[in-house]
Amino acid sequence: MTAPAGGTPERCAAPIDAVVLMDYWLGALPAPDEEAVEVHLLVCDVCGDRLRQAMALADSLRGLARSGTLRVVVSDAFVRHAVESGQRVREYAAMPGDVVQCTVSADDDYLVARLGADLTGATRVDLSFSTPQGAEIGRLADIPVNPDTGTVLYQESIAFAQASPDNSMIMRLLTVDADGGERLLGEYAFHHTRTIPGPAGW
Amino acid sequence: MGVEPSEADLARRIAEGDGEAEAEVCRRMGPRIRIYGLRHLRSPSAADDLVQQVLLTLIEALRAGRLRDRDKLVRFALGTCRMTVLDLRRTVRRQERLLEEFGADLVPPPPAEPAIDHERLADCVRALKERERSVVVQTFYDEHSSAQVARALGISEANVRVIRHRAIRQLHACLEVP
Repeated sequence: MTAPAGGTPERCAAPIDAVVLMDYWLGALPAPDEEAVEVHLLVCDVCGDRLRQAMALADSLRGLARSGTLRVVVSDAFVRHAVESGQRVREYAAMPGDVVQCTVSADDDYLVARLGADLTGATRVDLSFSTPQGAEIGRLADIPVNPDTGTVLYQESIAFAQASPDNSMIMRLLTVDADGGERLLGEYAFHHTRTIPGPAGW
Repeated sequence: MGVEPSEADLARRIAEGDGEAEAEVCRRMGPRIRIYGLRHLRSPSAADDLVQQVLLTLIEALRAGRLRDRDKLVRFALGTCRMTVLDLRRTVRRQERLLEEFGADLVPPPPAEPAIDHERLADCVRALKERERSVVVQTFYDEHSSAQVARALGISEANVRVIRHRAIRQLHACLEVP
């Protein structure tokens, strides 16, 4: 018990690494490491405060992950869990060459595009976003893909989509080799129609 | 600032019936036990119950003069935490009678929660690489294990851990958290 009186911890001679503290909070440490952390936390308020920081960060990350506002590749498990939790998931499935008419409503919680593609043998896959004229406006490089599923689940920001006027966007899944050469795995056109009242343009 | 009394001093004083020493042990140990409770019970109210029950047992042992040094005290506290968590999981309200008798006096107020700048955090997460962002979202959305995230994203469990650790370090740096 090294904390000084008054509850203001001063220093720790052997602070626990922040990553280890987060793993502890997530229950991801092997039992002996977990015990060592717990013994330390029972004598060290400095690391206790740092663990509270990790807990606050984890809590904020959970809120952010559940907000639907991140552009991120997700998984079937993620979508399934969202649905089972009572969230409204608007999902559009597309195979290569498909043209998809899409929209989003005010009470949707998540917007997901399920992009089908043959991912066999792809070591690096990028998801590119272009205008209908072909100008690339964004790219998610080296996204995680599970070749067994034959799909990429892309979550668009629900806040962005709900604010978006009518527009069209081309998504492309590309495999990129070690020399930077690209091969098209699939191209998908999304035509978004605004159904939430708002300005006609940005 | 005065000199902090040692655990041995506190233990001796408690064994002699010193109420102030008991209060000091509760003040020191309460927040630490609460962290253990939050980690294992995932509930602030259950963590508070744990604090009350462990402190009761701890003070009882100190009064009986059974915990004279720091190592014994820590091991005893950890062991009591474990046993009590098991109890709480089985029957959350089993020790209501003790809590009614002693509870309110034993539990110090929890420390203030650290504040996170949510907008800044969102920017920091957006700045992560795609795999890092996916692993972070999958992990924290519902506290999924590395194995669950690995299965979901089609990458190895070891890789998930490496990516998660890298992402956490980057988020700390981005948020300027020490």
